[in-house]
Amino acid sequence: MLFLILLLMAAPLLAEPPETVTTNAACLRCHGMKTLAYRHPQTGKIVDLFIEQFAISHSVHGKLACTECHDGDFAHYPHHAETQQRSLSCVECHEQQDDAAKRHYRFTTIDAEYAKSIHATSAETEAATFNCHSCHDPHRFHASQIGDSLATIIHNDNALCFTCHEQARIKHAWLPNRERHWETVRCLDCHTPVTNAEQAVSHHILSAADSNHDCVNCHSKNSQLLNRLYRYRAASDVASQGWLNTAIFNEAYVVGMSRSAVLDRLALAIIGLTLLILLAHGIGRYRAQQRLLRKQ
Amino acid sequence: MSAIYLYPRWVRIWHWLNAFLFAILIASGASLHFTGNSWLLDFAIARPVHNISGLLLIVSWFVFIIGNVMTDNGRHYRVQWRGFFGRLFSQGRYYAVGIFRNEPHPFHPSEAMKLNTLQQLSYLGVMYVLMPLLVISGGAFLLAVYLPDTIFGLGSIWVVAMLHLTVAYSLVLFVLVHLYIITTGDTVTTNLRAMLTGWHRDDQQETTK
Amino acid sequence: MNHLLIKKWWALTMVRRITIGVMSVLVVTLIYKVLYPLAFEFYVGKTNAPLTYSSSQELTPEAFELLAQELSRETRQQQAATIVATDQDPFARQVKIELLMNTPSVIKDSEPAHIRYFRDAGIRRYEGPKTCLQCHATIRIQHGDGTHATLDTLNDLVNSVHFKFQTEAGGFSTYGYDGRQVNSGAHKIPVGKINRACGIPGSFSWTGWAALIASRPEAQQDAIRLRSEGCGQCHIGGNYQPATEKMMPIGDVPNDAKEGIDCLICHATEYDMNQRYVIKDHQGLRWNQDRSLRSALTVGTIDSDTCLRCHQHNMGGDTYQHNVAAQSLGYINQRLLHHGAKRGNPFSPQDDVHAAAGMECTDCHVPEGHRIPRGRKGVDLVANDLPNKEVTCESCHTSAPHHQSRDKALLNGHVARLACETCHIKELTADNVVLRDWVHSTWNAKEGIFEPTDIYRSGAAGKGFTFLWFNGNGTFLANALGNHPDKTLNYNPLMQQVARITDPDIIATVRTKATELKQQYPEIDVDAYVTAATEPLSQLNPELLVQREVMIATNLSAAMNQGESRIYPFKLFNAMMYEDMSNQGAFGAMILPFDYARYYETGDSAAAVKVAIADPIIQRMYQEPFKRYMMDEFMAYFGIMDGWKTIYPLVNNQLVNVEAHWMRQMGTLMVNHGIQRQGHACIACHAPNGIMNFAQLGYSPERVAELEQIDDIVPSLNSAAQSDGQ
Repeated sequence: MLFLILLLMAAPLLAEPPETVTTNAACLRCHGMKTLAYRHPQTGKIVDLFIEQFAISHSVHGKLACTECHDGDFAHYPHHAETQQRSLSCVECHEQQDDAAKRHYRFTTIDAEYAKSIHATSAETEAATFNCHSCHDPHRFHASQIGDSLATIIHNDNALCFTCHEQARIKHAWLPNRERHWETVRCLDCHTPVTNAEQAVSHHILSAADSNHDCVNCHSKNSQLLNRLYRYRAASDVASQGWLNTAIFNEAYVVGMSRSAVLDRLALAIIGLTLLILLAHGIGRYRAQQRLLRKQ
Repeated sequence: MSAIYLYPRWVRIWHWLNAFLFAILIASGASLHFTGNSWLLDFAIARPVHNISGLLLIVSWFVFIIGNVMTDNGRHYRVQWRGFFGRLFSQGRYYAVGIFRNEPHPFHPSEAMKLNTLQQLSYLGVMYVLMPLLVISGGAFLLAVYLPDTIFGLGSIWVVAMLHLTVAYSLVLFVLVHLYIITTGDTVTTNLRAMLTGWHRDDQQETTK
Repeated sequence: MNHLLIKKWWALTMVRRITIGVMSVLVVTLIYKVLYPLAFEFYVGKTNAPLTYSSSQELTPEAFELLAQELSRETRQQQAATIVATDQDPFARQVKIELLMNTPSVIKDSEPAHIRYFRDAGIRRYEGPKTCLQCHATIRIQHGDGTHATLDTLNDLVNSVHFKFQTEAGGFSTYGYDGRQVNSGAHKIPVGKINRACGIPGSFSWTGWAALIASRPEAQQDAIRLRSEGCGQCHIGGNYQPATEKMMPIGDVPNDAKEGIDCLICHATEYDMNQRYVIKDHQGLRWNQDRSLRSALTVGTIDSDTCLRCHQHNMGGDTYQHNVAAQSLGYINQRLLHHGAKRGNPFSPQDDVHAAAGMECTDCHVPEGHRIPRGRKGVDLVANDLPNKEVTCESCHTSAPHHQSRDKALLNGHVARLACETCHIKELTADNVVLRDWVHSTWNAKEGIFEPTDIYRSGAAGKGFTFLWFNGNGTFLANALGNHPDKTLNYNPLMQQVARITDPDIIATVRTKATELKQQYPEIDVDAYVTAATEPLSQLNPELLVQREVMIATNLSAAMNQGESRIYPFKLFNAMMYEDMSNQGAFGAMILPFDYARYYETGDSAAAVKVAIADPIIQRMYQEPFKRYMMDEFMAYFGIMDGWKTIYPLVNNQLVNVEAHWMRQMGTLMVNHGIQRQGHACIACHAPNGIMNFAQLGYSPERVAELEQIDDIVPSLNSAAQSDGQ
């Protein structure tokens, strides 16, 4: 009898299979909790399950529904272990995009570059679990845009590296004005091989030994930075302010690179002119002297 | 021939040290600014050389200021307004015209007044205007991390850089003219010797007497 | 010749100058060190005298060694007992303890360290701070940032809150009702504690420092038994009054008073709380202390037991079942225990998971010398020696504290919005006082004294304590400040949660109590009484009510919206007391203190007020210098903008413009101890009529519906989350 009552009570639940989750709101009801997380039983590290609504909607994946990537059965709580474990491949999905073949910088290229990078080749234990998501959180990642403030780009980029590379400060003791460099240059600008002007910075992250140590690579008129960091300067900015400075203005000054052509030319012209005048004056004096000697 | 003791020992030592620092700073500064040229210093060497010499120059500037306050050398930099423009004009006229006509020097250094008005004016400009600007902008460069992001709506480091560069160019100009004017004494080396020995030998003064 | 004269004259002038210089320094020192303290004592009407304690006795070398042996044996016994603690059979246990006690590894280091120190230094008598300072003149402390400093020990202590229990420094998380952070401006005033639960509200510890009460327990046929009472029982100064001198910008506590500091009550492992009672000498009343050599020899590291000697009493824990100090009330003049718990969240192994884990107070409240942090979040006006030092759950437990439950991630998800205490303090002790009537006292036959009447007590969630948004700030009268993260305008605790009781159960209980009281006090109008107690705002006239709403909106919203608030549990408290109506504002009026002896002995609350406010220092408070020095500022924080009215409320022994009122809102006290391993189940809150009033917390109706109904996502949740402790 009791069993029957229980069965009757449960009937509505059985009759209606749980609705499949279709909107992000349903997911975010739990995953929007800022501290939704747990300590991983093996590593002891906090695994963050929080999805920030603002960040995801402004990310490259902002237009996607959660279920477009996470296509398992997530309607149930707790989610089945098997659905949770499924890994998502960035390259696979992105290569399936219609315009994949037409892209300048394809995900297959990234994959190839990454395979050579120190993150993939290192034998360190920390590197064992390294993958795309280690740097690019798919729920908040958005590429830097031309026109973004350089300081923001640099800060966000470097913060990402520093989350793992805690020893960076010690290892860069050799770098003059280290803090200033870190505020104004991305880690990537030294730690990737040079790529040509229109291509994005490579995913081939170099080991410390292979990275750029030569000041002049940046501190020169043909600075590598012009192809890299500073390509984010809007064309209009460079055009309107170029008369003061060859490449950029306002946000950074790079000794050796940021020369104002106008100022340099003007100054050198004045110096040249002065030298000519002095020379002429000297000749004049010499001749006067000669005249005096002759007179005597 | 008369001789007056114009440059006390500390002034001479200071002057030559300062000259030495100027030379180093110009060479290393140019190496940083025009980096990559083969006839310049290596960037990695030029940077510490420039920084250290710059710091020494700051010390040297303070020595000059303190020396002028402590001793009576400072009186040479006090502008005598009476007849100022007349003197300025005659000095200018001498360099522009008179010198070619072998006219006598309009100014004779004395213990009371060792600098002619034009000299005085340019030294005042250099030591009390350009040097402070150079020192401040150089210091700001060194402490760039602590600068505010912008000054007057411009990137502060850029403002500092342009100021430093402009002052540096002006001082290069000054050094060139200074080197030339040295030779305009009674003989080509009169002034140079004066700064080496401290004694100014005024040949002309005697001949005109 | 002339030269010589000049030289002589000059030498004379120099001598004269030096003499004048030395003399003026001497005069200034004399004025500061002698005349000023005398003038100050005269002004505040307090005295100082050399303090002696009968327990401070000199031992002969033989007696010393005997004591040393006894103490070592005790320590050994304790060590051995700890080792065999799990042994079940008492006899086997006893045998093993005796075996172990004589085992070299247990004997090693079993002698309390100070026995050797005292033996070597020839100390055979403990004479208070003087004895301690012989070796501990300076103290090396570690700051929170890891740096070290060496301080003068006595100076460090005398300037700590534990000694002076107020501070004129900044660092308060308290905001005046005028919107200013307390002591953040140029005019800093000494403020420490407003304690409405103890009947000596405000900084009135002068009038209630030490009292002897002639009680008439019925069991003893009305024979008089003297009992001890007063603030001094917990404050470590042993003088006739609190460290009043420290309230002034200049001057210091007299050396006599410093000699009265009770080092051992915190530092001795075996301090005899039975020595803690009020004694009367030719100067007046003061608190006795244990200055026995026995106690001094047991000085060791501080543990929770030493802190709890005082902190269970002054946290209102006299009634806690496991309160050890409450078992030793004094050899004579036994201390009075306060009935009714002030917070109802004991820190004993039986009641708190951290205490059970063997953790000690200073594990979380990490001291820097004699300064002990309370944490950055403080809802009340209690002075804090280290206002910038964190004391938080997260500093140990991280933001992901749950590990066992299947729902650990979901539980952790709550951390962003809920404080740990919100779930892990499921209830307070049942005798937790919510409404206390000081005006209408009740006879306690067993103790033979009149006591304040507790109108409502409860330890239940939603009744004895409530849930409020809290960002770490509080008001001058201890109301938690914070706001819903959406910064909604629907959340207004000062007009809702803490200003009005709507629970019909509570109202019914209050009515019953009021009816009971009416039998003793016929003048009570039961309806009016219930209204005043449960809707304290009804005591405000319409003008003040409007002023109150405006002040909340314009002055407090900034402090409420600061930072990120989370929901915390807050114990609620209100008291009916006498108020000086000349100094009334929209949040209450200046409360007046009671004289303990008169109150407890006669139950005549009005008479007790008259005695208390006749104290010279209260009279000074109603004079111009005190008004200028601090009371105007105090009133501004209190929400009274036109300054302190110096209309002394006692004329010809009649109270003038004094009325009995409930404070216009309940105080909210943080509860952070009494943490239970097992938190609330989900349904405790996530159900219609759960313990948390989501609507009053500022949630929109849609969100409230969502929060009250979570079965749609997690049908199995209700039972599940209960299985996690951590």
